Amino acid sequence: MVDIGIILQILFWGIYAGCIYILLATGLNLIFGVMKVVNFAHGEFLMIGAYITATIFLLTGINPYAIILLSMLVLVGIGAVVERLCFRPILGTSKLNEIFLSIGLIYIFQNATAMIWSDEWQSIKSPYQGITVPIGSLNVPLDYIIIMVLTAAILCILYLFLKKTVLGREMRATSQNRKGAMLVGINVERMDVLSFGIGCALAAAAGTLWVVSGQVFNPYMGSIPAVKAFAIIILGGLGSIPGAIIGGLIYGIAENGAAFLLGGVWKDAVSFVILIVVLVLKPTGLFGESGE
Amino acid sequence: MKYSVLFIATLLIATAIIAGCTQQAPAQVQQKEIKIGVIASLTGPASNVGTNMWQSAQVAAREINANGGIQLNGTTTKVPIRLIVGDDESTQAGGQKAATKLITDDQVDILVGGYSSAVTSAYEQTIAEYKIPYVVTGASSPIITHRTDIDTSYIFHHCPTTDTYGQYTTLFIDQVVRPTVNQKFGFSDSRPFRLALLYQDTAFGKGIQTAVNNTITQNKLNIVLVSQQSFRMGESDFRTPLTVIKAANPDAVYLGAFPNEGAPAITQGRRDIGLDTIYLSAENNDNAQFFKDVGQYGEGSIIESRFSPYTAPAGAVASGQSNFKTSYNATFGTYPDMMGASTYEGVYIATNAIGNAGTTDKATVRQVLITMKMPQVIEAMKDGTISFSNEYRESQFDLWMEQLAYNPAIGECRPFIVWPDNLKVTSFVLPSWYKPGSA
Repeated sequence: MVDIGIILQILFWGIYAGCIYILLATGLNLIFGVMKVVNFAHGEFLMIGAYITATIFLLTGINPYAIILLSMLVLVGIGAVVERLCFRPILGTSKLNEIFLSIGLIYIFQNATAMIWSDEWQSIKSPYQGITVPIGSLNVPLDYIIIMVLTAAILCILYLFLKKTVLGREMRATSQNRKGAMLVGINVERMDVLSFGIGCALAAAAGTLWVVSGQVFNPYMGSIPAVKAFAIIILGGLGSIPGAIIGGLIYGIAENGAAFLLGGVWKDAVSFVILIVVLVLKPTGLFGESGE
Repeated sequence: MKYSVLFIATLLIATAIIAGCTQQAPAQVQQKEIKIGVIASLTGPASNVGTNMWQSAQVAAREINANGGIQLNGTTTKVPIRLIVGDDESTQAGGQKAATKLITDDQVDILVGGYSSAVTSAYEQTIAEYKIPYVVTGASSPIITHRTDIDTSYIFHHCPTTDTYGQYTTLFIDQVVRPTVNQKFGFSDSRPFRLALLYQDTAFGKGIQTAVNNTITQNKLNIVLVSQQSFRMGESDFRTPLTVIKAANPDAVYLGAFPNEGAPAITQGRRDIGLDTIYLSAENNDNAQFFKDVGQYGEGSIIESRFSPYTAPAGAVASGQSNFKTSYNATFGTYPDMMGASTYEGVYIATNAIGNAGTTDKATVRQVLITMKMPQVIEAMKDGTISFSNEYRESQFDLWMEQLAYNPAIGECRPFIVWPDNLKVTSFVLPSWYKPGSA
């Protein structure tokens, strides 16, 4: 008989892992929803966010949770430049162009990061490490509570932005019907750069939370999370933000559940098994609509 | 027709005679240098270790050339050595390219280096094909010389294998950790020691797992494996497998992991899971980055080692290690790691073999390597000599176990050798926070 405390603890680790995936996948979905571009280099923005956070923390000693804002702002800028210089010229051309462009960006970002910071594994220590919070029968580190709260806060702000602001509504309109948005006078190119910037900022937030949780990072860390983020948005439904959130949580919990029940080597495999099952039963994903 | 045949035959005979008359005995050309190829991962994920190996080889070459180089047969003066590096790019394809280039284009006399068993084993066929002596100094899988699908007779393994890691660590647990736990908590000696394994799902991790299981079985040790959890290479989140391990109530956890996995595993185990136990790690974790990453959570943990950036064993190799570290640091501003140490020795082994052979003839050099009995250089070897076993051509290292103690002044742990008795500088202690397992 498995101890219920162990189940709860594994569920907790699954939700924590899900938070990182949710932020990464939501950003990717935002970009895909508006621009319909496939960007395999999205994980590299998580990696850059991680390095920015670690560097500022090590140089200044500022609380790394506070650095998340700066990290997101820097990535908005980087995202805007990448969108303008790389993706906009090929927008509307073959999907192959987008795929190979993003693969090229992966190498450029990884090598540039290795040149600046070296390719050694690194880690930082949260100022709250060692502080635990009792939650029912669990005694969980404070850092993970903060990570979950911050993720929820970022998603709430994103929701309010998309629902309550003019820019957000314009972005949603562009996502729903690009030509229709153009016809009613929305500057869709402005929406492209904005969505790309916000998507990158969400990846940066994921990177910040990655490093403050004590996980190691190096220039090559972004590739696997990016692949998972793609699987999550396909699972949740392409272009669907709620789909990315639910998909991220499912992946986080499923991965940790598989590691518990089947062993660590099944961690990645089980997520893709879920993806296949969902696609067979509902080809548009959990929250996707046909025709997207 | 008859005349033309006769003409051609006459022409051929005449050509042969002329050729025979003009052929001269080859002049005794004095070799100007000995070319040693160093295969290292200068780029890619393993570039940190690879660069260390290449730089360590350069330190050895500089020392050897400062003494004149190698004396060959028929030469009046010593011949200097020249290192030529081949970057395996941390990939199998890159390794194949590097080995082929060094052998065919650069025409090196002997090869040294090789990191990652997967990468090294990918180009062993090329070594077999060209029959060039290769002193492998960085791959830990026994497959390097144990495999039977290709001829590995020109390959000499100067790096402990996972068989050795697992054996030494398990014996240390049985001889030192188990009695200490029993004594401190008043357990009977008949109580089985509860060991858990957390290992990488690769030849490296599985090799350690197999070695631990075999050592327990073959030596009939009073150790029971209460949990064996695996993880993918490059994993950074160990919370779930550690939760499972904690539920099995172990007395200690043995990590078959790389440093980028071992440090977060220990940190997450102690900080997040509350698994306050003794963590034991393989020798590749004994590097500066591991100590930095693991921080205060490394306190009390154990690393099996043979060369450390921060400690040296008592005895014969202490000054050699110290001189090597000083020399390396003076040139490169950092410290060598253990793969660097064995590569440094690999250049000395190659030089010694060619010097004793008196020639660069590859078959002769191989024969010298087979019968070699060379004094240990900077790492402690069995019987104080570097020699290669008859069956698998593996050198036999004298490994040690070091325990980490936290130094708040620098915010990092530092290692102290606690086993075996002939190398130790202090004794193993159980930390005050240690919690033993229970059935």
